Amino acid sequence: MTTVRIWFEKRGMAAYISLLDLQRVMHRALKRSGLPVWYTRGFNPHIYLAFSCPLALGQESLCESCEVKTEEESPDYNAWADALRPALPEGLRLVRVGPAVMKMGKIEAAGYRLTVPASAAAALDAYNSAGSVQVEKKTKSGKKQLELKTWIPCVDYRVEGENLVFELTLPAGDQVNINPALLLTWLEQNHNVPAWQCHVLRTGLFAADHQAFA
Amino acid sequence: MPANSQFIDVRQGLKQALMQVQKPARYTGGEYNEVIKDPANIDVRFAFCFPDTYEIGMSFLGEKILYELLNRHENWWCERVFMPWTDMKQKMEELHIPLYALESKDPLTKFDVIGFTLEYELCYTNILAMLDMSGIPLRAADRGEEWPLIIAGGPCVCNAEPMADFFDVMQLGEGEQMLQDICAEVEKAKKQGLTKQQLLENLAGIPGVYIPSFYDVTYNTDGTIHAVAPNNPHAPARVTKAIVKDLDSFVPPEHFIVPMIGAVQDRACVEVLRGCVRGCRFCQAGQIYRPFRERSPKLISDSARALCQNTGYDELSLTSLSTSDHSQLEEVLDRLNAWAEADHVSLSLPSLRVDNFSQSLVEKTTKVRKSGLTFAAEAGTQRLRDVINKNVTWEQIERTCTIAFREGYTSVKLYFMMGLPTETMEDIKGIADTAQKVVDLYYSLDHAKGRGVQVTCSVACFVPKPETPFQFCAQDRRETLREKQKYLLSCVHSRKIKVNYHDSATSVLEGVFAKGDRRLGRVIETAYRKGAFFDTWEEYFDYDRWLKAFAECGIDPDFYNYRAMALDEVTPWDHLDVGVSKAFLIHEYQKALRAETTQPCNRQCNGCGANKLLGGPCFDYGKNLV
Repeated sequence: MTTVRIWFEKRGMAAYISLLDLQRVMHRALKRSGLPVWYTRGFNPHIYLAFSCPLALGQESLCESCEVKTEEESPDYNAWADALRPALPEGLRLVRVGPAVMKMGKIEAAGYRLTVPASAAAALDAYNSAGSVQVEKKTKSGKKQLELKTWIPCVDYRVEGENLVFELTLPAGDQVNINPALLLTWLEQNHNVPAWQCHVLRTGLFAADHQAFA
Repeated sequence: MPANSQFIDVRQGLKQALMQVQKPARYTGGEYNEVIKDPANIDVRFAFCFPDTYEIGMSFLGEKILYELLNRHENWWCERVFMPWTDMKQKMEELHIPLYALESKDPLTKFDVIGFTLEYELCYTNILAMLDMSGIPLRAADRGEEWPLIIAGGPCVCNAEPMADFFDVMQLGEGEQMLQDICAEVEKAKKQGLTKQQLLENLAGIPGVYIPSFYDVTYNTDGTIHAVAPNNPHAPARVTKAIVKDLDSFVPPEHFIVPMIGAVQDRACVEVLRGCVRGCRFCQAGQIYRPFRERSPKLISDSARALCQNTGYDELSLTSLSTSDHSQLEEVLDRLNAWAEADHVSLSLPSLRVDNFSQSLVEKTTKVRKSGLTFAAEAGTQRLRDVINKNVTWEQIERTCTIAFREGYTSVKLYFMMGLPTETMEDIKGIADTAQKVVDLYYSLDHAKGRGVQVTCSVACFVPKPETPFQFCAQDRRETLREKQKYLLSCVHSRKIKVNYHDSATSVLEGVFAKGDRRLGRVIETAYRKGAFFDTWEEYFDYDRWLKAFAECGIDPDFYNYRAMALDEVTPWDHLDVGVSKAFLIHEYQKALRAETTQPCNRQCNGCGANKLLGGPCFDYGKNLV
């Protein structure tokens, strides 16, 4: 049994596909592709399919991934990519298919590019000069307070046209997960920066020591 | 095209709106198999509007059929529009986003034709809301040359009158050919620069097309209809329903758009037959979709397989009013089973009948997955089942349940109605008795220890519908139905039996609009202006608001649903011919009052009149068909 990792972009209107829906969408795409994916044994056999690090609704990504299994010993990954590419709906663009080198649990961080309107400069400056930024994080066990400065000490933004752009690397994975939207919510609530005018693009997934997840 | 300066650019507006509403994927389009074309190359732009949510509309087979047929024409483009849920509707109004089609994101005013499905009476207000959200005047009389052609189709057109004021064109019957003919005329009219009036006159010649403005209605002093007469020489005195004579002449849709979010019916489905041989007297579908026509087993199987491959669905259902009446059902199932398991596709047959459900049928449908069993018994006593011509006996229910229980089924759902003509409290008690007998049957058979049975009785309120033998009947009053519901609960003595029923306020309104006439257009508009929409959704339905609208218009709703009609009364739908004759309906009604049954029409022709649509007999009665 080989574990295969599928990398794809999630862009444009596809940003509004929730994780639950994404599973269904990918399941059907795999079925359309006719690829020899492994079905679970059991009363209702279904394609084994696992997603890593769900992306928040409305955010885009260059580096989404999921895992399937196959009984093929050494799959022709290029052929897999060619079969799956046309089976995906608009906005989900296949990047590549390859062996799952690491286990999904190895993911520790994700990189993001945030774009906010130029008018948010004062708000970002206020964030940078604040000693402490408390935000509310929703978890399965309820709401809890979080010190955002622990994870984002400073926002190093640059001007691009009418926007400000900056990069963040935040914990992601099974243990700690920090959603960049926490910063955007703070900017909206405290400095009236409309969250819908801000844009989040996930650019990379990382294992320990900033090693690219593979 | 009128300038819609009050609206903003859709794509721009969506960036904001989609972040602030539930389930935004309902509003994005972009699903697999969606059809995108370059508007520069298009002669006819068609907006297919479903006046309910995305999840419900995307489950609707009619739209899938017509979407594929229209889009096969390179120079036509059919797109989808659904009613936005209340949060999105509010957001769109707040941000001045017009209602738009999912494919192009263009507002409805950019289209040549806007087509609505009239699937059930309670979504009429949603149609007005959707026109309003597009800035389009609601009434046909208020729309000049600059506005798109607004048309309707679907089962409710068999009594089109309550919505007649709002539509330029209504389609009676099956759209496969009719809608393509309409679009061809629209294309011609655009190229020749015809006026709307000229276009309407051309359309009036297409079989099944009804142009409401070409007819005048006159009334008697008692409020009943005196006559409905054409006022335009191009309009026929009676509009005859359009049908597809040979179901094999149209390949069923094989490229369903695959929703991202779960639709209500989110699976592959193939229509195996159209019409129904049964003639249940309460059932409108059983009358208006006549005559009975079948699709061949090979086409069903080949299309189903292509559909599953093109969509990635792993569940296939065979749909029709009564799938087990297909004369070659065993061959259909054998062909499907030849590939389904290997393709990881499971099979389900939603509308099985109690009376011809066989051992081999159960085996063929449960190869891959086992689900609950559903039976429509409809009435609790044999006498009442004979009245409604539901030719099902307790012995058949017993035999079927025995087979099913032996196969390992443990849950049975029974459908019933209350408020049926001639019904007494004895019949209501019969519902509880039937359910109890099913429970007792389960325990009388060998069953796995510790595995109990669950019998669910779903009891709907009967609504008399036009073009049925019961169209002449008055509907039961709400108070009566409430008493009957209470009595039914008092008759149930087992925890294995669950009874589901609904409050009857929506049924009252459904009864009024089902048998309503043109005067109700004002009521629908008034109720809409008062805030009525999503009336099918209990949380938005407000009965008092409707009563106020009736009062304001000076119209008594009771006149329509609580009044028995004389057999010779001119009905609001007499000028719309669905094939079944009024003489047949009267004959069947009189038989019902005598509790006399009528044979299914594949055994002997009962002379309903629908065979004139085929131009010959529906069945070769020389062959043994059943």
